[in-house]
Amino acid sequence: MNMKKHSKGPLSGLRVADFTWIGAGSYTTKILSDFGAEVIKVESSKSLDPLRNTAPFFQGKPGINRSGYFADRNSNKKSIVLDLKKEKAQEIARALISKSDVVANNFSPGTMDKLGLGYEQVSQDHKSLVYLSMSMQGSTGPHSHYVGFGLTIAALSGIQFLSGAADRPPVGTGTNYPDHVPNPCHAAFALLSAIYYQRKTGKGQFIDFSQTEPSISLIGTSLIDSIVNERIEKRMDNDNLESAPRGAYPCRDGRTIAIAIYLDQQWADLDNLLKISTKLESRDWHSNKVRMDYRKELDAAISKITIDFDAQSLQNLLQSKSIPSGVASNIAELVETDPQLNHRNHWIKLNHSEMGKTIYNAPPIRLSRTNLNMENSAPLLGEHTDEICMNLLGMSKREVQFLREQDIFI
Amino acid sequence: MTQNSIHHPLFASPLDGLRVLDLSNRFSHYAGKLLADMGAEVILIEAPIFGNSIRNKPPFIQDRTDIEFGIPHFYFNTNKRSITLDIHKNEGKKIFLELVKTADIVLEDYEPLALNKLGLSYEFLHKINPKLIMTSITPFGQTGPYANYASDDLTLLALGGLLNIMGFEDMQPTQAACEQAYAMGCMFGAVGTMLAVLETQLSDLGQQVDVSIQECVTLSLENSAQSFDLEKKIRARAGNTQRYAGSGIFECLDGFVYVFAGGMAASRFWKNLVEWFKIEGVEGANELASPKWQDLKYMHSDEGKQLFENIFTAFASDKTMAFLYEGAQSRRIPLCPVNDCQSILKNKQLISRSFFETALHKDSGLKITMPGAPYLLSETPWSLRHLAPRLGQDNVTIYKELGLTEEKLASLRTLGVV
Repeated sequence: MNMKKHSKGPLSGLRVADFTWIGAGSYTTKILSDFGAEVIKVESSKSLDPLRNTAPFFQGKPGINRSGYFADRNSNKKSIVLDLKKEKAQEIARALISKSDVVANNFSPGTMDKLGLGYEQVSQDHKSLVYLSMSMQGSTGPHSHYVGFGLTIAALSGIQFLSGAADRPPVGTGTNYPDHVPNPCHAAFALLSAIYYQRKTGKGQFIDFSQTEPSISLIGTSLIDSIVNERIEKRMDNDNLESAPRGAYPCRDGRTIAIAIYLDQQWADLDNLLKISTKLESRDWHSNKVRMDYRKELDAAISKITIDFDAQSLQNLLQSKSIPSGVASNIAELVETDPQLNHRNHWIKLNHSEMGKTIYNAPPIRLSRTNLNMENSAPLLGEHTDEICMNLLGMSKREVQFLREQDIFI
Repeated sequence: MTQNSIHHPLFASPLDGLRVLDLSNRFSHYAGKLLADMGAEVILIEAPIFGNSIRNKPPFIQDRTDIEFGIPHFYFNTNKRSITLDIHKNEGKKIFLELVKTADIVLEDYEPLALNKLGLSYEFLHKINPKLIMTSITPFGQTGPYANYASDDLTLLALGGLLNIMGFEDMQPTQAACEQAYAMGCMFGAVGTMLAVLETQLSDLGQQVDVSIQECVTLSLENSAQSFDLEKKIRARAGNTQRYAGSGIFECLDGFVYVFAGGMAASRFWKNLVEWFKIEGVEGANELASPKWQDLKYMHSDEGKQLFENIFTAFASDKTMAFLYEGAQSRRIPLCPVNDCQSILKNKQLISRSFFETALHKDSGLKITMPGAPYLLSETPWSLRHLAPRLGQDNVTIYKELGLTEEKLASLRTLGVV
């Protein structure tokens, strides 16, 4: 595309007072900051974001400004420290909100209200404010005060039960999956939709976001199937309801290749390349129904063949015939050798005053005319306190100094 | 939000007034659903007679393999309209270009360059309508060495790195249920669309949004990239072993629970767990109160994990998931049941929030329940305005709006364009 790119991201000019911490909340506001919004993270050493103390650390040594886990979730944000237990700090937070378009938090319901920062309290004189509240189970209902994290949310919302080997306990994704994509994306989408509406009408609003509900939305087809067809949903290994073979097969170099056949032609090409049917009982393997009925036999035969190939060369061979396939890459391969991620400049190294140049995820979205804003590493704790107080909130240097002596900025 | 009814909202929807031409034909339907459920007018453009390929995707309502009975179609196309139009034919292309003039967004999941070959490249559409946004969700993005690789959800989980870390160490890895690679592409696709929409509000110019599903999957790898970069650790599958003692999945009387009470962010809940065990008279509760359980190294050791598992499972073996959930949560311990579909439907919290929507599917005569609002917006509530469309149900309305006469429509039908 020859159209000229703007130097700024699509959200430049949007200011976010960001009270989120840990996983899902911080990954939501990262989407905004990576696309040019001014995201001001309000934090405190008195109630430190636990991710600042979570591995991995620069040089393996713990320290509040050394966590790679924290850094990746907070690129391009600013940090102000405020001890929100103190009245004066709350007043400063309210001043910040009054100059922001968006407030975001992922505390339990009621926490922001106790700090005088609840929606009702801060929207009285700021009708255009969009206020996102991402609690574990929403702000209403009998379980609204329950506590949880990504992995417990994955358990509660069904994805763990449905994922894994058919004959073993549910294993899920092994990660805090709801924190990484379902909640950040649904929350960012709701927020951006509300901003769109706000720009058209001048009206802000409160977004009550339950961190269990989006993940349930993502298993909607299984839920509906279990209801209308009165079916007990089971774990399915790597099978699907459409076709076979489909699976993860071992290779000579200890790696795994995923192969998925949908069309009879793909099967014919695969069989031609790997001579699978010669190792099997004589059946009508050209029929998808037969392949599905005897899929475990097929999988076993394919595994005995793939084990004689290196994964990458097998992928190249299968892709030469357009057979859906891919190596189950590990992180070293993704970072160092994956040609496609490299082509998209996915991994970005940003310079940080304590950590030097370290790795960040760019968002997986490219806009043809407006830039990503992947310029600044995660902030040091409180790095921008003075700048925000003086330049944005109009406080004098003396005032800031005085308040610092009162331990407001810790 | 009321249950058991399709309702016309009393409130505005946030994306009212946005028109989306939805060319999804492979895996991007959930992106269109997110937009449609927020109030955008999303028009699904389907092949005449056979309809969109998602209509043939199982499972089916009452297991009937009929284009109006597919559950993926039923669920991923809520609130959309449907027209039939063959954009591969010249007449169809002309009509599509007329529609582009009226649209804000084209959403598509064609293979890269496939639309260019049809003469419908973004550059060309942009000339017809400078404000048009085109969101393209593809396996690997529009360009690059893998751009034309054959793929499916499983191979994208593999090439995005999530498959390698899912499942048990002593067997090949296993997928996440319900096509999560596609889901991730759709979620980021919807976000990318809104980023462009907000930018267009300021600049009056559209742009192309290029989403790579493989790249979306890399966002789900937790701290893998940073662990490799900073500590040279290569994350592997961990099966169901506890992350730290006190954090993992445990069997109980009627299923499994997930506990998150030991190590890192979870360690602040440890004392609540010990208190609970003491009150319940759990054998070994006092043992868990000893100082070594504050030591992350011990919490990470096989000995620590084994000891915790022995104590917990002895306690839980005659307790139900419901008992453990209530008991733990009333003492602020992050413990949750590993819910199956049936328990999710009975979940009191979801029912209290009217999370589920129920509506009549006319072709089967069944009232069908499905997930509803994934977020509650105070001014502009989510709403199910109508169910997934029947094939071509909006042909007459939309083509009339474009000024096509009855005769013209009839001739287009004969030609197989509509």
